Amino acid sequence: MMELLPQALTDGILLGGIYITIAIAFSLTYGVMHVIDFAVGEWIMFGAFTGYYLNKWTGLDPFLFLPVIFVLYFGVGYVIQPVIHRVLSGTKGNPFLMGLVFTFGLAIMFRGLALTAFGFYSNSIPSAFSEGSFNLEPLGLTVTIPTVRLVGLGYALAITLILHYLLKKTNFGLGVRALAQHKDAAGLMGVNSKRTGSYVYGIYVGISAMTGVLLGCILSIGAQMGNEYTIFAFFVVVLAGMGYLAGVPWAALLLGLVQSIFMIYFNPSHTLLAVFAILYIILLISPRGLFGKGV
Amino acid sequence: MKNRGATILAILVAALLILPLVVHDTFVLRVLTEGVMWIGLAIAFDVIAGYTGYLNFGHGAFFGIGAYTIGILMMQANLPFWAALPAGGVAAAIVALIAGIPTLRLKGAYFAIATWALSRAIQQLALNVEFTGGPDGMRLEAFLNPQFFYYLMLITVGVTFAILWYLLERAPFGLKLKAIREDEEGAKALGLNPTKLKMQSFILSALPTGILGGIYAYWITFIDPSSTLGDLVSDQAVVMVVFGGMGTLFGPALGAILIFAFKTLFWAYLSDFQLLYLIILGALIAISVIFIPNGLWGTMFKRKADATRPQHQPEPASEPAALSAVAAPEEGN
Repeated sequence: MMELLPQALTDGILLGGIYITIAIAFSLTYGVMHVIDFAVGEWIMFGAFTGYYLNKWTGLDPFLFLPVIFVLYFGVGYVIQPVIHRVLSGTKGNPFLMGLVFTFGLAIMFRGLALTAFGFYSNSIPSAFSEGSFNLEPLGLTVTIPTVRLVGLGYALAITLILHYLLKKTNFGLGVRALAQHKDAAGLMGVNSKRTGSYVYGIYVGISAMTGVLLGCILSIGAQMGNEYTIFAFFVVVLAGMGYLAGVPWAALLLGLVQSIFMIYFNPSHTLLAVFAILYIILLISPRGLFGKGV
Repeated sequence: MKNRGATILAILVAALLILPLVVHDTFVLRVLTEGVMWIGLAIAFDVIAGYTGYLNFGHGAFFGIGAYTIGILMMQANLPFWAALPAGGVAAAIVALIAGIPTLRLKGAYFAIATWALSRAIQQLALNVEFTGGPDGMRLEAFLNPQFFYYLMLITVGVTFAILWYLLERAPFGLKLKAIREDEEGAKALGLNPTKLKMQSFILSALPTGILGGIYAYWITFIDPSSTLGDLVSDQAVVMVVFGGMGTLFGPALGAILIFAFKTLFWAYLSDFQLLYLIILGALIAISVIFIPNGLWGTMFKRKADATRPQHQPEPASEPAALSAVAAPEEGN
């Protein structure tokens, strides 16, 4: 069994790399809009299906569609965000709870829509990268790296770097960070919280949808896949510490490792149990995440 | 107003008690039994969600735990139903305790997704271990007496309602929970112990849910992970409470009646479009949040209640004040 370990670790790190993109966008929306989006998995699912059908209709490689899917879902997020903003800035009831309930409702609705449109079967997206793989035998390692996972890692790195640049080097990023720190003060300094919120939500929905295509190429797609990824996104963000972006990569890699180890050594359907057990123990020991730096 | 409300409630209870004697149609009785059960599930959900402000998106897990506990105790330990029933509630309460220890110390949002993830994990557990029968589910010994189950459900829900009404609307406990909901730090500053109170309300929410799950299992005689531990139980509880009105007891009850009636009609006449029900459920939650954040009950009665509340305080002082309290609702109309 030990000879499988390098393979499990490699797969885990490559998969975890992709989870970084989901969790970073998810964490960013939480930081700016102060609402946890329950529909994150459903955006991933919608992106995966869009990629699947675009591939089916045009026969082109799904990786070519990534920019199209980003733009499309950026638009969807941009349009939906004002509604969430309205719910969150309401005076009746408890706006924070209402925001959660609202996205929870969206998630149920999206899941229903997807089940109606696509049914219960699951499938995977074929890509030019699906077939090939690299063998690390010459380096003395019994590890095979599927090309598609390597491309996924490249994608994750690119997205992370672009987001990092956007947040740290541009005026827009300055506004986003100000908004995350103090909404009212940022507003007084001339940050348009409504519009910035729309951009951030659009970026997050766009990234989630793009990541969905990748996950569809690597694993599989199905109308009910969203649930699992919502739990994963939450797991990573809570483990990293809510709102602490620097912890996200480590938590995402841990999740990837847990998943690949369970796939190779145990029953894959126990992954969710393991994820929850780890989350429980870490919350018990350090309520503010792995590094104790969350809110 | 209050006396009228009590009269209506009394008539309603009397009607529910007499109904099985008049109606002999098994289908109608079955629908009524399930409707009553949903009222119980909705008000139990509201203890933690509406009163304390901690949304439990995995309420269905407690229901399923109750159902499975009774199934396992009856079929594998050969315990009689009455001995197994309390165990269902206790098992749900214990899971609430274990899940609550790390999550209730944190802010509300953690709790919401953690409970939701927990319910997914428990569903996976039921699917993958042997003693639950896995995906094939579990068959219980059949006891086919519709009247018995109707009355059992009605009494359980009635007792739950009465206890919760006393604790939440009459005893200081309810006010303490509301204080946590409105301002947890402030409640702490007043000398309350939010951690303990949140835990108590979470257990108070889980206990009756587990018992109802147990009765349901014995009544329906067959349980499997998708029917008792699936998303639908939790999702329906959320929509009933949000649509009816959070933070009250009558709101969730009203929401439960309306949503359950809608579901029954929908599945009776449009059974080919069951997935459509999921879309409607989700849309209903989202629309309720935008247009009636206080829920149906809150929108109908909240303003009147708010208008009378200040006048009630000086009531014992003098006669004119008491008179103005009587006069106040008139202005509202």
